[in-house]
Amino acid sequence: MKSIVKSSLGCSLGLLALALPALAQAPDASLFARRTAADYRELARYPESSKALPAGAMDPIREKRTPTKQTTRGPQGTPILSVWASKLSVEVGRPVDLFAEPSLLGKPALPLEVTGEIASTKGIVAQVVYHDDGKAPDVKAGDGIWSARLTMPAGLEPDSAESYMVRVKARMLDGDIREAAGGFLYSNPSAHLTGRYRETNTGGSLVISAQVEVKEAGRFHLAGTLATLGGEPVGTAQAATRLEPGLHWIDLSFYGLMFHDRKVAGPFRLSSLALATTTGMPNALNDLVENAYVTKPQRLEALTAKPFNEPKLLETARRLEGER
Amino acid sequence: MAGRRFMVLVFFTLVLAAAAEKAGAQPCLIFVHGKQTDTNTYTSYTAARNYWVNGSHDFVKTATKNLVTPYYVVGYNGTRPYWEPQSAGEVATEIVNATNGGADGGGHRCAKTYAQGGTFWVIAHSMGGTVMDWILGNNDASDPNFNFNGPYDQVAQRVSMVITTGGAHRGSQGADAVCLQGNPLCSFIAIFIQSCDDATYWLRSSDDVQVRNFANAPAKTIYLTAGYEAIFGSSACLNGEDDGVVQYASSFACSGSATASYDNTNVCNNSNKQEASGFANLDATHENHSDERDDSDSDTRRAIPTGIWLCSGVPCAANTVVQSSMTTARFISILY
Repeated sequence: MKSIVKSSLGCSLGLLALALPALAQAPDASLFARRTAADYRELARYPESSKALPAGAMDPIREKRTPTKQTTRGPQGTPILSVWASKLSVEVGRPVDLFAEPSLLGKPALPLEVTGEIASTKGIVAQVVYHDDGKAPDVKAGDGIWSARLTMPAGLEPDSAESYMVRVKARMLDGDIREAAGGFLYSNPSAHLTGRYRETNTGGSLVISAQVEVKEAGRFHLAGTLATLGGEPVGTAQAATRLEPGLHWIDLSFYGLMFHDRKVAGPFRLSSLALATTTGMPNALNDLVENAYVTKPQRLEALTAKPFNEPKLLETARRLEGER
Repeated sequence: MAGRRFMVLVFFTLVLAAAAEKAGAQPCLIFVHGKQTDTNTYTSYTAARNYWVNGSHDFVKTATKNLVTPYYVVGYNGTRPYWEPQSAGEVATEIVNATNGGADGGGHRCAKTYAQGGTFWVIAHSMGGTVMDWILGNNDASDPNFNFNGPYDQVAQRVSMVITTGGAHRGSQGADAVCLQGNPLCSFIAIFIQSCDDATYWLRSSDDVQVRNFANAPAKTIYLTAGYEAIFGSSACLNGEDDGVVQYASSFACSGSATASYDNTNVCNNSNKQEASGFANLDATHENHSDERDDSDSDTRRAIPTGIWLCSGVPCAANTVVQSSMTTARFISILY
């Protein structure tokens, strides 16, 4: 509660709960451990590199790469300021669009000006002025969303990636200042997807291979979400490997059991595909590729229905079941 | 007579063996502290241990049932970003040491090693949660940053679960405020964070620094509990319920914006976490960010969506008061 004052009603209910443990009780300790163990036995049906998604789940790879608004409150009854970037990660040489939205009770609040500073841990590297005039990148004049396009200054190309904070200041009509901070990764990935894909059934799993062109040796991570043609996410797969310069294939193995669990046989769409150079931190993130590939229809009987039985999880489950 | 003595001896031997078995079956608790403004907890065991103490109140003592349950206190450099060798690398190395029967800086060790069948629970506060997200999300060869600077795979194999209290899984709006250096109202946060050092920079709520960009779902479940007691001044800078430093969207590892506004009734359930699996709600407590780790505020606990508390055998409705006076340390002690 924002109020620090304790609720007397809450206290009395709590005492009642203590007096009558049937009303509010934590599961007993062995139940907590057993419930955790049961979760692990369920998770162990899949390898760590490939998981089924429950029906209705969002695409976790796309969700992670979707920029979100960072919102800073003002004092009660005064405008809030939300800021965001067009991309979570921007590849070297490409611009990034930055947005700011001062609002009060869900309606645009009119500022005199909106400005931004771009800074890393080493200091300020650029400044921008936001506009709400309908000229690109601003979508619509006067809609309360202020926009600026930033091309990073030459000479700042990172070896891998660099995090940049965008400190935004909105000067309101009454002279009040609202500030908020967002940011983006400035990435210089060492490999790119070529757009070539192929598929096989390997060991009862659907393997989609993506070709990458590596310009500099390093470690690379690829993650993808498989969805029905209707866009319903079915499962994910990931792989990581060290590669030398040149053309290579990275295999994403979608564990066969997921198709039995979800009772779907395709064709499927590789709905999101995220490549990253993970030689160092921060990782350099490539642009997310959406709807990269459509598979052939699959024969369910050719895909494994056997649980993977991930040993790490099963052993922990066994030990938790023995606790107490 | 000799036969009777023998029977009594056998009886007491069996009783002692049963007691030892019960004690041995308890988990060993491994404590991982949060963000620090200096390197003390990395260089001094006393500082790492005192992180969990406030006067006569001692989180470790309460969580371990008066120090009966074996425990191990980790110390790392809390001024460095969550993914660096002196933070994540050190934490991973110390956890493996604990599971091998090694002692912490105070001479405390787990009763059973992993090889002997021991189980290990990690209790992490604030940035300690971010560090554990990173380690457990990079434990497999297919993960983005597998074993980046430590034995993450062994940690993931040996740890049974993690419980975070006020975990900064999606960063902290307190860190945002410190790095903005703009709003004097938010300067109260300086009590906890003080400066926009490298660790603070990487604990902001901005998309680009989120641990989920650089890790997969955790290999073992990370259970979530967090405080909703405001701190005058700083809580005015945070969205929704918060503990004065970390907002609910982060402490409950929600998907979407890290600054989304949540309360006890609508905080994200177990299907809407920052990863597709591996995070689960426990409950919420009327504690602030310090109380969450020092056992000083025995206060109200409330149910949250998909949380752990049961009311008449079914999950309690969100925001139901489930305890009127229970610290987080005490709460942890009833989970094993």
